[in-house]
Amino acid sequence: MQLVTVEEQRRIEAFLYKEARFADQSRYEDWENLVDEDMYYWIPTDDPEADPERTVSITADNRKRLATRIAQLKTGKRHAQLPVSPMRRLVSNIEIEKMAAPKQQGTEEYLVHANFVVYELQVQSTRMLDVWPGGVEYRLRQYPDGEIKMYYKKIMLVEAGEPILTAAFIL
Amino acid sequence: MSMTAQRPEARSKADGIDYEELIQKDRISGSLYTSEAVYRDELEKIFYGGWVYIGHESEVAKPGQYVRRTIGEVPVLLVRTREGKITVLKNRCTHRGNMLCVQQKGSLKNFTCAYHGWVFGLDGKLLDVPYPGGFRHDPAEYGLKVLPLIDSYRGFVFASFSPDAGSLDDHLGNGKLLIDRALQMSPTQEIKLTAGWVRHKIRGNWKMLPENDTDGYHVNFVHSSFGRVIRSQYDEAALAPEESLKSLTIDWGNGHTELDFSPSYVGEMAWLGLSDSSRYPEYVRAMEEAYGHEKAHEILAKGPPHAVIFPNLFLGEMNIVMFEPLGVNECVQWHTPLLLGGVPDEVNIRILRQSEGALGPSAFLLADDGVISERQQIALRSGDAWLDLSRGEEREEVRADGVRLGHVTDETTNRGFWHQYRKVMTRNAAATR
Ligand code: FES
Ligand SMILES: [Fe+2]
Repeated sequence: MQLVTVEEQRRIEAFLYKEARFADQSRYEDWENLVDEDMYYWIPTDDPEADPERTVSITADNRKRLATRIAQLKTGKRHAQLPVSPMRRLVSNIEIEKMAAPKQQGTEEYLVHANFVVYELQVQSTRMLDVWPGGVEYRLRQYPDGEIKMYYKKIMLVEAGEPILTAAFIL
Repeated sequence: MSMTAQRPEARSKADGIDYEELIQKDRISGSLYTSEAVYRDELEKIFYGGWVYIGHESEVAKPGQYVRRTIGEVPVLLVRTREGKITVLKNRCTHRGNMLCVQQKGSLKNFTCAYHGWVFGLDGKLLDVPYPGGFRHDPAEYGLKVLPLIDSYRGFVFASFSPDAGSLDDHLGNGKLLIDRALQMSPTQEIKLTAGWVRHKIRGNWKMLPENDTDGYHVNFVHSSFGRVIRSQYDEAALAPEESLKSLTIDWGNGHTELDFSPSYVGEMAWLGLSDSSRYPEYVRAMEEAYGHEKAHEILAKGPPHAVIFPNLFLGEMNIVMFEPLGVNECVQWHTPLLLGGVPDEVNIRILRQSEGALGPSAFLLADDGVISERQQIALRSGDAWLDLSRGEEREEVRADGVRLGHVTDETTNRGFWHQYRKVMTRNAAATR
């Protein structure tokens, strides 16, 4: 693991803010375009180190299942997001490291830790404002042409081990 | 004509709430979901007065292991004692009432209260009181409250706060066959509830969970987005025109209800989202060895039950699900994958992923059910609604043993639930807690 340059940091932060904005606005196609083919989208329960092959998660999507999730949101019949939740999320405490040995040869890969809070208005039913705080681990990949893709997002909700409300949006 | 609508709200009479009026043959009052008085009465009669599901023995496999549970609003512990026996204790110190175990689960030698240090054995006996000089009671009378009825059926532990709840055998009735069917999915008849729980909070009354979980009518509507993006066993089972639907709603009696999708399954392992069983030859071989060729393939075709055991357990195919009320307007649906003994790891991994796909806050199915229940709770809030449950009453088949079979879109299961509910709620027996 190595520190990153100011230039790299700026580029990665810009990517994270864009990813957050697309999620906030339920721009599913734009959000999915940020995702790489080996994506893993994971919301574990209270133990973020638990083995997902032995432990149930809130969400554990490989790329194929994530595509299905997004396709379902796009049917216009996904009642849990009908209408979509107005959301605003804050991403902060961003720490970036460069991976010494990238998973994919010829690219630069970064491990990013951050905190987030999502404010979500549950307009589909109760019209209550729900707050979703947590930590997040991203793994990002920059291709030689400069394009950045996300291939891993682990969302560690503060309340992951508690009873939690319906969350059909992109966290 | 008077425009004054008759308000069917639950109201307290001298002898309590008039359930005969609120629960009629083919309709029920919406106030049953919204009345605080009804909710309090349910806690007494259903959650404290009758049998409730507590947990599975595999969750506390070793002596000293415990898991926290809540019966109604009472925190309890499911514990494996030093002798290896199962017990259910109140999670409350008998001194000044502090909570004993704070973690959701754990392993201990005994229970020590953090407040003043009283120590209790795993069986609840009071073992030590610090500064005993001032203690004036008989320690034998200050053990943790052990629930008066604790019994299990094939590893499924049930308990009651009321010594008058009758036998578990009578309570389960045909429910035992449903549990048998869940267990027979394993060649060794073993299940392991060791994958942890996801708890989904829904701002709706708890009864919407058992009712919705065996409601076959909603599938085509609430889950149409799922049907459009995923090819699944539900395509033939519930997402087709009325005449071609072969699945059934079943009222097994005692409030135990089932959505039986199996008549529509085309091939084996449809319940695992597969079109045949070629993916897992080792599992098939183990099943054939355990049950013989014919029976094994029958089980692999029919799959696990999709059935509610009244009042708080749902055998949700390859999941075990529990219902927890949180006041009149909120509830929690717990789920854990039903992992099988004696099968290759990849079968259990598939079960895990299927579990996340179906159940929980972000799932393809339950997220939508949750929001539908929340909308219903809001719409019923004024307490003056009547809910129609008449669908298919005239076309349901009543077997000689009283079991009722209905078309998958019919309200046979809802009527089964409410029939039992009324029976329990009109009983006078008070629980002794
Ligand atoms: S309340 Fe437990 S020791 Fe006092
Ligand atoms: Fe449903």
